[in-house]
Amino acid sequence: MNKATKHVSKLFAAMALAGMASYSVAADTIKIAMAGPVTGAVAQYGDMQFIGAKMAIEQINKAGGVNGAQLEGVVYDDACDPKQAVAVANKIVNDGVQFVVGHLCSSSTQPASDIYEDEGILMITAASTSPEITARGYQLVFRTIGLDSLQGPTAGKYIAEQVKPKNIAVVHDKQQYGEGIATAVKQTVEAAGYKVALFEGVTAGDKDFSALIAKLKRQNVDFVYYGGYHPELGLILRQAKEQGLNAKFMGPEGVGNADISAIAGEASEGMLVTLPKAFDEDPKNAHLVEAFKAKKEDPSGPFVFPAYAAVQVIAEGIQKAGSTDTDKVAEAIRSTSFDTPTGTLAFDEKGDLKDFSFVVYQWHANGTKTALGE
Amino acid sequence: MTEPLYYFIQQLLNGLTVGSTYALIAIGYTMVYGIIGMINFAHGEVYMIGSYIAFIVLAALALLGLDSLALMLIGAFAISMIVTSAYGFSIERVAYRPLRGGNRLIPLISAIGMSIFLQNVVRLAQGSRDIAMPSLITGGWSIGPEEGFHATLSYMQLVIFIVTFITMTALTLFISRSRMGRACRACAEDIKMTNLLGINTNNVIALTFVIGAALAAVAGVLLSLYYGVINPYIGFMAGLKAFTAAVLGGIGSIPGAVLGGLLLGVTEAITAGYFSTEYKDVVAFSLLILILLFRPTGILGRPEVEKV
Repeated sequence: MNKATKHVSKLFAAMALAGMASYSVAADTIKIAMAGPVTGAVAQYGDMQFIGAKMAIEQINKAGGVNGAQLEGVVYDDACDPKQAVAVANKIVNDGVQFVVGHLCSSSTQPASDIYEDEGILMITAASTSPEITARGYQLVFRTIGLDSLQGPTAGKYIAEQVKPKNIAVVHDKQQYGEGIATAVKQTVEAAGYKVALFEGVTAGDKDFSALIAKLKRQNVDFVYYGGYHPELGLILRQAKEQGLNAKFMGPEGVGNADISAIAGEASEGMLVTLPKAFDEDPKNAHLVEAFKAKKEDPSGPFVFPAYAAVQVIAEGIQKAGSTDTDKVAEAIRSTSFDTPTGTLAFDEKGDLKDFSFVVYQWHANGTKTALGE
Repeated sequence: MTEPLYYFIQQLLNGLTVGSTYALIAIGYTMVYGIIGMINFAHGEVYMIGSYIAFIVLAALALLGLDSLALMLIGAFAISMIVTSAYGFSIERVAYRPLRGGNRLIPLISAIGMSIFLQNVVRLAQGSRDIAMPSLITGGWSIGPEEGFHATLSYMQLVIFIVTFITMTALTLFISRSRMGRACRACAEDIKMTNLLGINTNNVIALTFVIGAALAAVAGVLLSLYYGVINPYIGFMAGLKAFTAAVLGGIGSIPGAVLGGLLLGVTEAITAGYFSTEYKDVVAFSLLILILLFRPTGILGRPEVEKV
């Protein structure tokens, strides 16, 4: 051992003593990676996922852990960037973590899940809704949220049966999630006999939508479905109001958070949005909502409870399998059902939930929402 | 058949609005290139900082209970220009001046490093999320019939045109009439000779960075008022578009930067309006490639004279 490596090893020893003691007791802890955006434009969705997963870990540990072992959550930041998601996935492999709750953005989850499947890591996403993620026959990939192919038709059906607009436009952000869901909505309303006047993509991160809005105005569009996230839709709403476009807007759960009201202000009043059922309003979750509020965390985000459920499924899966061998855990998850705060969850062969429903909400300018029905 | 005409006018107005701000940012690229032949890739970040300062100033003034819109705007422009200029000056001092005279690639790498540094500083200081503020200037004029489609010129768009016009006129007068402006032009022609004639070229270069930063701050204030949303990443795309505008117009030429900015903005709006929003950037950048194929120096650029 030369001088330099001695130095380094001393440093590591010091680090281990100074609080990274978890490495030395690895036998008694099961690490769960929580992967999602800590930074970037959609970091608030990451937060929802992290607080849900952390709460589940905390409560499971308090109740004695899993087969005598304690769970330990480690946060990894993918910034909702597919390239960084792959780097994160590789880091998770290197860190020897076997269970992942994440990622958040479908476009990040997809490339990362390739790596997890190859390396025998079990992944449950609480937020990625793209159908392709579970359509590749992977054994170790699950999700505790519904699919775009479910959310799109819910929105499409609502448009066709309740809103009955004269002239529909469908806009998306050209990303896997946004375009996927927009396509599903388009197909549903077309099947119901409506014609889509305009189907067009915008660039995520763009700030100027005036040209698009002028076009919508010219074609007398009175209903716009937007597949994507809130930063773009917020600006579209705001600029549409300034340019005097009289249309109703609707979006998927990616637009349903208070930030859209901060961006669009008054223009966000009356927007429609499909969200998973509001689990925090379910009376049987009252104690959990209290626990979040005690920590000054907001349990109302759409991914908080699915993330909680994801950790719970992993924990109970390990318990049932009697080991942390991911193949056995995956088998256990498929063969049973779990009683979680998001309902009784059962998984199909693909790793999707057998039953999940989205609800249409009306959004208000103060960041709140009211349910309009399923 | 007036509807297509009003639609065209609307798209033209939309394009000119975006184009004006591209032009303001593009001037920073073009002036620096004209004098020291270097592309200041951190310039987009300077624009982003200008936007943040405008936000902070407006929020602070609103908090102090100031309710005069004109005073708020003047305050935002003044403070943002001063602070952003200080950034421009410091960037040149810290990241470029020590490297001047060496290989041309070295300051370029330093600029990219500076860009990443500034982006992350703002991210850490202000958070990475979008910050939004309500529209301060609302309303506008309708052009065309009451019924059916009519073009709208919002007051905000008008403010953008007026401020851009005033800024450009002031800059042109400064460059063509003032002593320092003459020194700038002399440096652009032959920096070594200018130095020999007793002009402190270091000061001229510093001034160039300060002017570029001040104009970027103007664009920052205007765009943050117009869109109402900023985040630490807006500098990248804005910088890229402005750089394109500068190259399109002929890098090194100030009228070229203005023309390039407006042309790029209008091309984008027309493409989005008549074809598809999806192809906006494709068409804009194809235009750049075409112009560079047939006019490698850009629309108004002069062919580079071999300096002995």
